[in-house]
Amino acid sequence: MTQSRRDFLASSAAGAFVLGFWLPPRPARAGENVAPPHGAAWYEDPTAPEINAWIVIAPDDTVTIRIAQTELGQGVWTSNAMIVCEELQCDWSKVRSQYASANRDGREMAPDWTLNVPGNGGTDPKGGGEPGFGNRARTGVVGIPDSVYRRMRTNAASSVKDGRYYLQLAGAEARERLLLAAAAVWKVPVGELVAKDGVITHPPSGRKTTYGKVAALASRTPHPNPKAIAIKSPDQWTLMGTEQKNRDVPMKVTGETVYSIDVRVPGMKWAAAKACPVYGGDVKSYDFDAVRNMPGVRSAHRFPIPDPKLTRGHVFSGGIAVVADHWHQAKAAVEKMPIEWSIPARNAAFNTANMHAALVAALDEPGTVRVNVGDVDAAFAHAKKIVEATYSTPYLPRARMEPGNATVLVTDNRVDIWYGDQSPQETRFSASQITGIAEADVYLHQCHLGGGFGRNGNGPQAEQAIMIANANRGTPIHLLWTREEDFIGTTYRAMGVARLRAALDANGWPVALEVRTGMQKDGFGPDASFDVASRYFVPSYRFSNHTTDFHVPVGTRRGVGQAAHEFYRESFMNELAHAAGKDPYRYRRELIARTKLPFKDDMIKALDIAAEMSGWGEPLPKGTVRSIALEERGAETGGSATISAMVHTVSVSRDGKVRLERVDVAHDQGFGLVNPLSVKKQIEGQITWFYNDAMHQAVHIVDGHVDENNFHRFPLSRIDEDPPEIAIRFFATGHWLLGMGHDRGTSVQSAIGDAVFQITGKRYRDLPYRQHDLSWS
Amino acid sequence: MAFDLTVNGASHSVDADPDTPLLWVIRDYLGLTGTKFSCGIAQCGACTVHVDGQPVRSCSFPASLAIGKAIKTIEGVSSDGNHPIQVAWKELDAPQCGYCQSGMIMSALALLAKLPHPTDADIDANVTNACRCSSYHRVRKAIHRAAELMKA
Repeated sequence: MTQSRRDFLASSAAGAFVLGFWLPPRPARAGENVAPPHGAAWYEDPTAPEINAWIVIAPDDTVTIRIAQTELGQGVWTSNAMIVCEELQCDWSKVRSQYASANRDGREMAPDWTLNVPGNGGTDPKGGGEPGFGNRARTGVVGIPDSVYRRMRTNAASSVKDGRYYLQLAGAEARERLLLAAAAVWKVPVGELVAKDGVITHPPSGRKTTYGKVAALASRTPHPNPKAIAIKSPDQWTLMGTEQKNRDVPMKVTGETVYSIDVRVPGMKWAAAKACPVYGGDVKSYDFDAVRNMPGVRSAHRFPIPDPKLTRGHVFSGGIAVVADHWHQAKAAVEKMPIEWSIPARNAAFNTANMHAALVAALDEPGTVRVNVGDVDAAFAHAKKIVEATYSTPYLPRARMEPGNATVLVTDNRVDIWYGDQSPQETRFSASQITGIAEADVYLHQCHLGGGFGRNGNGPQAEQAIMIANANRGTPIHLLWTREEDFIGTTYRAMGVARLRAALDANGWPVALEVRTGMQKDGFGPDASFDVASRYFVPSYRFSNHTTDFHVPVGTRRGVGQAAHEFYRESFMNELAHAAGKDPYRYRRELIARTKLPFKDDMIKALDIAAEMSGWGEPLPKGTVRSIALEERGAETGGSATISAMVHTVSVSRDGKVRLERVDVAHDQGFGLVNPLSVKKQIEGQITWFYNDAMHQAVHIVDGHVDENNFHRFPLSRIDEDPPEIAIRFFATGHWLLGMGHDRGTSVQSAIGDAVFQITGKRYRDLPYRQHDLSWS
Repeated sequence: MAFDLTVNGASHSVDADPDTPLLWVIRDYLGLTGTKFSCGIAQCGACTVHVDGQPVRSCSFPASLAIGKAIKTIEGVSSDGNHPIQVAWKELDAPQCGYCQSGMIMSALALLAKLPHPTDADIDANVTNACRCSSYHRVRKAIHRAAELMKA
């Protein structure tokens, strides 16, 4: 393979980039730079001068904006381009998005004018907020400090939170250099020029030009003092904050979008895999001869358990892959091939029942005490009433619609990976480790993802594909998992339990709260929602974590511990309100008002608005009730936060059929939302996501393996379960948002349980509710 | 063994086992990748195409059953991406990740052919495709909007 232009630039002229000089493309050699298919979104070398690492402007005024995070339905393709366009002052209708080069990010440093975050953190409307970069490490150990795109991971609902300030700076820096170029051409002071919609005007003389006409000169015109460039505050936004349709949608309604599964490379062969169903297991023996002569079959390859240091410490399984001309042929062969597994006895002994029992038993151990305020034991000794409840949540996979897959071509000096990847730098690192080829020679061609819901990079589909391709050097290998393999290859949200105990005074107000949560070791977000302080006031508060050690790989899934923890917390608040004989809305409101939490007014506002929107207190037909809950991330911090409240109007028929009739959402917009349309879509989608979790979804472990491994036994909510009405009202607050991609709509879980209780008198504390008899008479 | 299939109005000779699921013939032999694979057991509907106007889940539908019939995929809905159903989908900004949307659109299109003015109950009963992003709220509105546009 040949060195691309980007290699050449980065190795020989990285410094020139920082100054803004641009080198013309080197002519492509035979076989290189084959035009990607229409609908592909991965990085291509530009044919026009780039202004800076984010922006290329062509002579026809088309502006290419490079997006460093992956579009997986959250709208980053559009929102992050809006941020650049806002400052650049280009014509939004002429903007196209394209993925940034992960290879370049691996070798080029960030311009120094992007290194400092302007302003004073999460509560400064004029600043850059509180971006986090701690997640750039590819392995959790090794990072790329201050790489050009700062953060190529797509996780933690942070693409806007972390990217906004430097995308604003990038747009502003390019705008200033375009103005400087026009000023040089016209020989006028730059201060006399005005830029708007890609047109530069000199009002004193009436002269006009366009960005496309001065872009080449601007690309060679460094800014004299880029560190002095300021970003716009929300009161100055004109594009940000408006509802913009998502730029990737037109190709998603024609089938043209190239997802990873759609990648076709000349000479490509397909691979189908079978990994040991029990995590930690491997192939003992297999008989390729039994399937060797099946149509299209070429070869079989054992792959070991991927090195845990490449999969964030998770131990997945070893397995076998068959390579064939077509995928259905490879799949038929691998499924027919006799395989004997070698399974660790300890892992095969795990079942949901003994794992759940171990979690509950751990709650009685001392655990790790994270918060201990006041005198909890004394308060319980003098309590008028004690309420105790234990809640359970099952293992849950992401089950994104696109099954795990990746296309990999390994040659002796280069690796190419076509993949929809939420953590491309981790994958490049894996490729280098597996093949021994320098990371600088690993190219990842980013595709749109068919769903994300938790960074998928820690599943081993890319690692498996790299191992198979490494054994087939020179042949591009497209590994595609069956749905059943996808259930084996994903990480799970950890199964969890929680025991909450409250001591109430004579008026039903809590005087002490004790929260014990149980989760397996390495479960994500063990302190979410309960850390630092209970969100509801109690004078005495103790919170402890109790861990056990299981073999199932656990990771993020549309949030961390938060989704489960908010189910525990809000369910318990309902139980306390009922025990106290008080209205659950006003009970919550009062207990938040008693706190000293920095954003308590915002939480109260959310509850008030949602209650008002829902007609709280107005009569409903028999069998239909309302339930309210608070959702928050960061309410205890005083910095960035996302705060909302929802009222769910829920009906339960006499034969036990649950329906989410209406959802009223009061949602924090912080200092400003970038694309409110995408925010609404995130809220709408997560309501039904969490309905699905609450009602249907669970994965059980049987003899160490995942039992439900396709959609006939792992049910997905359909359109008939989507609430007919969702009303969303945004309210302004004095902080930047933490993010929208997860933990919105968690309240559906507690609301359905509470509705079932209100209507049927039955209280269920373990999800999903479908396992229970919800009927009444 | 070669056989002929008519897809989006064009005839194709396919050199494959006729029992190959129609999905894989469409995707891998004909190169039409708009139709998606997700579950492989006719549960999710991501692979929905029309065979003689009827929506079928092509992952579990042998290609041999489509011989001599008119197959329509997402690529055949319009030549310019502006069929009323596509216009409606864009107006509502319905897709999120978009992976299920080809199948969703094909199911909705079959419904609208059968019932030009579907009720919500009709939609619930006929559009049973799974969407993990839960784009359903906008999909429902987009189906009603498409019905309006197709009437016009």
